[in-house]
Amino acid sequence: MSGRLGRRDLLKAGAAVGTLALLPRRAAAADPLVVATFPGTWNEAHRDVLAPYFRKKTGADVTQTILLATDEVAKLEAARGKPPFDVAIMDEGPLLDAVKAGVIDKYPVDKSPNYKDLVPAFQEPWGPKISLQVIGIGFNPKKIKERPKSWNDLFNPAYKGRVGLTALNSTLGMAFMVDLAKTRGGSESDIEPAFKALKELLPSVGAISANLGAHAALFQQEQIDIAPYNFNFVQTLKEKGVDIDFATLETGIPAWRTSLHLVKNAVQPDLAVQYIDAHLAPDLQEDLERAPYWVIPTNRKVPLKGEIVKQVAKSQDDLAKLKYQDWPKINEHRSEWIERFNRDIKL
Amino acid sequence: MARRRFLDLDHLTFRLTIGALAGIAFFFLIFPTVIVLLTSFTSTASLRFPPPGYSLRWYAALLDAHQMQQAALNSFKVAIAATVISVLLGTSGALAIGSSTAGWAKILDSIFMSPLLLPALAFGFATLLYFSLVGVPLSLTTLVLGHVAVCVPFVLRTTIASLAQLDPALLDASLSLGAGPIFTFRRVTLPLIGRGIAAGAFLAFMASFDNVPVSLFLTDARTEVLPIHLWQIIDTDLDVRTAAASGVLIVATVVLMVAAERFAGLSKQLH
Amino acid sequence: MTAAPAANGPEWRLLLPLGAFFVLFFAAPLVVLLLVSFSDGLALNAFSLAHYAKFLGDSFSLSILIDTLLLGVKATAVCLLFGLPLAWVCVHASPRLRSLLLFLVILPILTSVVVRTFAWIVILGQQGILNKAFLSLGLIDSPLRLLFSEVGVVMVLAQVQMPLMVLPLITTLQRIDPNLAEASRALGAGHWRTFRRVILPLWLPGLVAGCILVFAACTTAFVTQTLIGGARLVYMPLYIYQQAAGANNWPFAAAMSVLLMISVLLVVYLLNLLGRTRAVPRHG
Repeated sequence: MSGRLGRRDLLKAGAAVGTLALLPRRAAAADPLVVATFPGTWNEAHRDVLAPYFRKKTGADVTQTILLATDEVAKLEAARGKPPFDVAIMDEGPLLDAVKAGVIDKYPVDKSPNYKDLVPAFQEPWGPKISLQVIGIGFNPKKIKERPKSWNDLFNPAYKGRVGLTALNSTLGMAFMVDLAKTRGGSESDIEPAFKALKELLPSVGAISANLGAHAALFQQEQIDIAPYNFNFVQTLKEKGVDIDFATLETGIPAWRTSLHLVKNAVQPDLAVQYIDAHLAPDLQEDLERAPYWVIPTNRKVPLKGEIVKQVAKSQDDLAKLKYQDWPKINEHRSEWIERFNRDIKL
Repeated sequence: MARRRFLDLDHLTFRLTIGALAGIAFFFLIFPTVIVLLTSFTSTASLRFPPPGYSLRWYAALLDAHQMQQAALNSFKVAIAATVISVLLGTSGALAIGSSTAGWAKILDSIFMSPLLLPALAFGFATLLYFSLVGVPLSLTTLVLGHVAVCVPFVLRTTIASLAQLDPALLDASLSLGAGPIFTFRRVTLPLIGRGIAAGAFLAFMASFDNVPVSLFLTDARTEVLPIHLWQIIDTDLDVRTAAASGVLIVATVVLMVAAERFAGLSKQLH
Repeated sequence: MTAAPAANGPEWRLLLPLGAFFVLFFAAPLVVLLLVSFSDGLALNAFSLAHYAKFLGDSFSLSILIDTLLLGVKATAVCLLFGLPLAWVCVHASPRLRSLLLFLVILPILTSVVVRTFAWIVILGQQGILNKAFLSLGLIDSPLRLLFSEVGVVMVLAQVQMPLMVLPLITTLQRIDPNLAEASRALGAGHWRTFRRVILPLWLPGLVAGCILVFAACTTAFVTQTLIGGARLVYMPLYIYQQAAGANNWPFAAAMSVLLMISVLLVVYLLNLLGRTRAVPRHG
């Protein structure tokens, strides 16, 4: 008898809770700001350093969704009226697409006190550059004794089955292919030499990651020992105890700039601008310029130090001399190259 | 004599093969879950097994994982709502179908069970297109509606099975004693099929909470649910907190299962 | 006069809520999917078979569809191979052991698929336990590539979907009259022969049901395929997701979804036919 009553009561209680859950959420004290972030070091840096800093300054919480820049553009295009996030993070290539698609707003410089302190090269009307990313070769120093010097080391037959690559939908992948092409006579308009090299390399490849974060997992689980990789990500993994080191390329260090943007029709535009501005603040950038992030600063007031000076550049002037790629040219063929790459690598 | 030995060898090989295969199968059924549980107690930041050291740090880290907690809360709210609606729709549907032996009933039964056969991913995408076409923005409500379609079959199945075991003589007796159909339903039918409904509700709840294919298309960063959040982290990071979150989910599932077994006789309903 | 119990047709009033819901939120989306696959976008203006032609005429895309169906077949076969003995043991075990075994079989279905697949990532890596075990047992010389290989995906799929195979098997096996097996053995047939000639034919409906459920689940298992398969093993679910969410190519993705649904339903239909033609009539 009591058992039966128990079940019906449960049903009634469930119905009550269920209807409560369906009621529209009354605007709570402060809905968190929803932002996009990149996988790997970025996601960790933003979650562990930027978010608490932002909460201390504004009292607002942040929800971070991990996306690649190309996916961000797609999502923003698909939901223009109500974008799924208010702050976009972009690398140079997808940024051009975002501007063309009209999904981001010009950055309200007057609402952002830290903007004027940026090195002029990093000021940009569509959104300030928050850092520079450089790529080189990530390798396991325990398994690979000779420090790699150029992309040609990936083709070393001794490393057969241990080489990693990443898909072209991430900037790491695209920058790698373009740079590989350039070292073999190609250019930003023609990366045929890189595709030829890819065919050569495929039998040696241990795994291809779909995105940057998965790339980390491959090193961590020792599925691969050598791969094109970001400077920042290698440092982060090293701090986690993974056997990995970064080798700078003797052919020149390819680099690109990463920026934050206010999304068009953002749900909380003022909070979004405050978030972006927080990332430009000298104290925050200085905090990110250490293990395990080593995010290269863009604020004039923050000097370069530590691993960055050791491996990348000694000063802001040196940063300007890195190998920047011509993204408008790359963008003309980007989707075609991505599709071709996906076809070529399919098992 | 020779005949008996022949039979023994045959019997022996039969039992050995069945036993060995079943043993391997059981081992692999449980093994991964155990591995996750053990790995979640690792003291380092990497997912090596066996863990170099043991600690509760990753479970402690869950307390700070605000986004994960919000996602879990969203999943919970959606699952409760989807279960309630599924129970209401499924029970009434089961009563209609279960009480009839006409051909129509079998056809309807197949139609209402079809969400379990169709690729849920295609259905999730279809639902996204549908809501976009109609102009309804995505929200937890649209997510609930998407989930109900794939959860209702569970309630339907267990309730119909329960109804099948219901002795019609009881209903006749009640009706012939002067009780109206609603009273009969409330006081005779419902208590007897209560366990079936409860089992179905439990399955529907788990199906909604763990759902990925429909949630993949109907959620965005503002309405994150736990499985998608975990998948995103695993796909991009291999953060050990996912192991801790998995540990919590496993324990919660076991607890709920034991409860379902006690109050609804779950295992009996499923076979 | 009390209402006579519905004997000929389902009670329409009781059916209304469920029916209405299905029409609005199950049938309607599928119709929209179909319409979008034949048009240019949500505006639904042009009518064209272009997307279907693009998919069916492209060997890369076709190979993805075929790989997906084959994946389902392989995983289902593995499930069957291990599921049959598993179900057998569950049914023939003592009652107390049986409840425990059933609990262990049901638990995986209820645990999140993300959690279960994640466990396998830890196990299958080059440095994972499986490889370490094989190495120490001397079965292999160097670590096998299990992660990001089809073997790995099949293995994980089979384990993750195993309960879907075992439960119908248990249900059907329990309904087979044990006297039949006894009789067969009393007449001189060995265990293997009895199993093949008496049990299996009667068990067939359960096998078919299990195979259908597992096949349907495996072909659409997005999480497992992507986490274990990686970037080089692309199956339909990931392909659809890439086109739908990544490239916003909705009509093409819709066409692919429709093709996937049709293929899966076709295989299910064939399995059903197989079950019906081979099934032994129960009486006479």
